[in-house]
Amino acid sequence: MRGWFKLWMMLPLCIAVLAAGQIWLSHLRYEMSLETQRLVAKQKDIQRESSKLRLEAASLTRPERLRQYANSKLGMAPPKPMQVVHL
Amino acid sequence: MNRNEQIYVRRRIEAVAGLLLLGLLLLAVRAVDLQWLQADVLSAKAEKQRYREYTIMAPRGPILDSQGRTLAESVEIPSIAAIADEVPVERVGALAKALGLSASKLKRKLRKRKGFVWLARQVPPSVAEKVMALNIPGIRREQEWRRYQPLGPETGHLLGFVGIDGRGLEGVERTWNDTLTGKPGLRQVRRDARGHSLPDSGWIRPPVPGKAMTLTLDASIQSLAYAALAEGVREQRAKGGSVVVMRPKDGAILAMVNWPGYNPNNYRHFHPGEWRNRAITDVFEPGSTMKPFTVAAALESGRWQPDSRVFCENGSMRVADYTIHDDHKAGWLDITGILVHSSNIGAAKLAMDIGPEALYDTLSRAGFGSRSGTGLSGESHGIVLPPDRWGPVETANIAFGQGIAVTPLQLAAAFSVLANAGEHVAPVLFADQLGKQPPERVMKAKIARQVVRMMEYATSKDGTGWKAVPAGYSVAGKTGTAQKPNSRGGYSKGKYNAVFAGLVPADDPQLAIVVVVDEPKKSIYGGQVAAPIFRHIAESVLPYLGVSARIENDEPEWKTLEVADVASLAAAESVNGMSMREVRRFAASRGLRLRVHGSGWVIRQKPASTNGLEHGDMLEVWLNE
Repeated sequence: MRGWFKLWMMLPLCIAVLAAGQIWLSHLRYEMSLETQRLVAKQKDIQRESSKLRLEAASLTRPERLRQYANSKLGMAPPKPMQVVHL
Repeated sequence: MNRNEQIYVRRRIEAVAGLLLLGLLLLAVRAVDLQWLQADVLSAKAEKQRYREYTIMAPRGPILDSQGRTLAESVEIPSIAAIADEVPVERVGALAKALGLSASKLKRKLRKRKGFVWLARQVPPSVAEKVMALNIPGIRREQEWRRYQPLGPETGHLLGFVGIDGRGLEGVERTWNDTLTGKPGLRQVRRDARGHSLPDSGWIRPPVPGKAMTLTLDASIQSLAYAALAEGVREQRAKGGSVVVMRPKDGAILAMVNWPGYNPNNYRHFHPGEWRNRAITDVFEPGSTMKPFTVAAALESGRWQPDSRVFCENGSMRVADYTIHDDHKAGWLDITGILVHSSNIGAAKLAMDIGPEALYDTLSRAGFGSRSGTGLSGESHGIVLPPDRWGPVETANIAFGQGIAVTPLQLAAAFSVLANAGEHVAPVLFADQLGKQPPERVMKAKIARQVVRMMEYATSKDGTGWKAVPAGYSVAGKTGTAQKPNSRGGYSKGKYNAVFAGLVPADDPQLAIVVVVDEPKKSIYGGQVAAPIFRHIAESVLPYLGVSARIENDEPEWKTLEVADVASLAAAESVNGMSMREVRRFAASRGLRLRVHGSGWVIRQKPASTNGLEHGDMLEVWLNE
């Protein structure tokens, strides 16, 4: 009789432990979801940044700008065809 | 307690019990109503509150040049919107200040409707941050895609632009809008009470970015052509101009520019007339640049040979009631002479001899009178009347490029026929279309080569196009000067198009270049106006493409070439920046064993310094183009 009683007492305890585990797991999922959201936002930021940098690089290296820079800052001029030798 | 009082208490208890019972009954009815009758509707409502669906806009595909350089790309930038009826009136002033708008204008926008309203679209991120920092109820920050073209006016006419709603409105952006446009995605998010997403969020439909398109265009050539055209137009105080650069072999369009340009990143500041890609939309009378095709048609007919001679009437000939004049009066000329001296009378006589059908056949098969097939919207067919409407005057006129209208692209494609030994290769704008269309034969290979050789004479010192020839290269080309038609059906006085179309190098044409200058003021002649622009482009582009100049021994520029003082390679401590050839020479001079990775220029070496290396030691280098 006493043994049966002890066994019945274990049941609420097990339920309590399982419930606590469930809460902990759902908390973990929630935290993970927040982390995922943060990482997705970061990924999007990096993609946005990379796209901007790609455009910036294209803008900075546009032939007309390089030509002007070489001409005005470095005193360079386009080579004459005779000055270009292909090896 | 007497009996009456007992009855009273009992009735009261019964009444309260009755009320409680009634309450319970009502609760039960309500429970049945909620849990059973309205279950589906309410569940759906709850789900709707818990789940939220967002439309995520997909970016437009980038446009790249043949070297993979970005010509157009979309970037995400903020826009400011509002739920109009939620914005407190007293905060409008602060909001207007942050947005840089007037308060009255902002109020008008907010009064337009009660719900969602755009306040400022595609604003700089700093402005958006300033606005959101005000924390005004009803104000929202939305993300939108904005299109940028880093080369600006240089590619503006060809690529066109994209409207604020992401739809291509001109050029490549418009014609291939469906391919470039991405498909928006739909994301479902389960949220908690604080609005945070919960784990089982997911895509109902993921966004699909637009496809990238690689053009045959080369940004460097495009830029060189634009700069050369701009300089030439400014120098001649002309109204404008167009240039098309093609690779005849496969029809690749390497450059297509117009002057004046407009900035597609800021297209609203320009008149819609300036948005037109005049190299394909506008037609002009090609003038004498048509003569090589008249000559080709004459040779193709078999009635004329390259050494046949034509009497050019000493500069004046009457056809019906119309008199044809030559700028350079001549008597007898052979066929080459007709091209070299650009004789209208000679060309007219050839055309009248072979008849309209034969000339029309050659012209139409060379691509005149029909769209070139690039697919660009707004492309003109040009104007070539059917041969049954050609009388003697029309036949004579068309022979020297009057009474016919072409686009610069058509003219470049037609000159490519001569470069391709008589085969027409349709112009191609997209890299993946190269080599897809089989070439069509227009004339015999022998005749095309003969015409190219004749055009080479036209750019000799005796010809009209000598200013088109860069040092070290040969050019086969033809100048053209055509009066512009006026609105009354005649020709306007003093308004001309100066044209030069040519192939370079003449012996193995790598480029077909057409230069059209609209209403030049200093000179009107193609040889004086358009030919120097052609030379400028050719002498810059050919070395860039790896086509070497032919160095003649008596070339004065070669003799005066200065050679820079280069430090001895063997003394170098580092091989960084050296070319493959230089690093091999360096290793050979020091007796080192060499291991090379990649091609181009050295960007890394092992060991870091070559000082301690002995004869037979290993030097490892990594090169990167």
